[in-house]
Amino acid sequence: MAIENEIRRLRFDNGEMTQQVLAERVGVTRQTIIAIEQNKYAPSLEAAFKIADAFGVPLESVFRWRKG
Amino acid sequence: MSFREKSAWIALLTYSVVFGAYFLLLWQAWDETYARGLTIGLTIGAVVVLVIVAVALNVTLALLSPKEANAPADERETMIDLKAERISSYVQSVGVVCLIGTLLAGWDAILVAVLLQASLVISELVKAGAQIAYFRRGA
Repeated sequence: MAIENEIRRLRFDNGEMTQQVLAERVGVTRQTIIAIEQNKYAPSLEAAFKIADAFGVPLESVFRWRKG
Repeated sequence: MSFREKSAWIALLTYSVVFGAYFLLLWQAWDETYARGLTIGLTIGAVVVLVIVAVALNVTLALLSPKEANAPADERETMIDLKAERISSYVQSVGVVCLIGTLLAGWDAILVAVLLQASLVISELVKAGAQIAYFRRGA
């Protein structure tokens, strides 16, 4: 998938935030967070902003687009 | 495994078992003279059993994980549902078109009705299977 993310590292940097806690903050299931983290699912723009907000960082610090 | 994936497994298993038994019984007992009554009786029986088993299993599942059961589907689950529904509708459309052909060819109406049931059941199985595959794959 062309969209990659730093969610695993950001969870680690935020006191090993669990996938469940992040899922509850974003309003999705834990399985959806797992799919996003493993680059198997590209979230909607709204969910992407919510994930960035959960870590208190801008969107571009969480997601990046790999060209090609 | 998420609540909705488990629910898809329940749909897959209940449809397979109940309608598998239904079509097997119908096949073994098929008699053109009594086909109409046989089909109606077995269909009612199969639908009643399907509803009871599916409701019982889904209620049990909801009791085991009430939080997940009450939560609305998130965006990925909604997308998976729509994708699976699309594949299922293709299968159903092909079945219906083929059966229109059999009617035009003069096949027995009761037999065509049974095949139409089979087409609907297969499309439901495809939907549940596609949901499971998407859940396993990620999306």
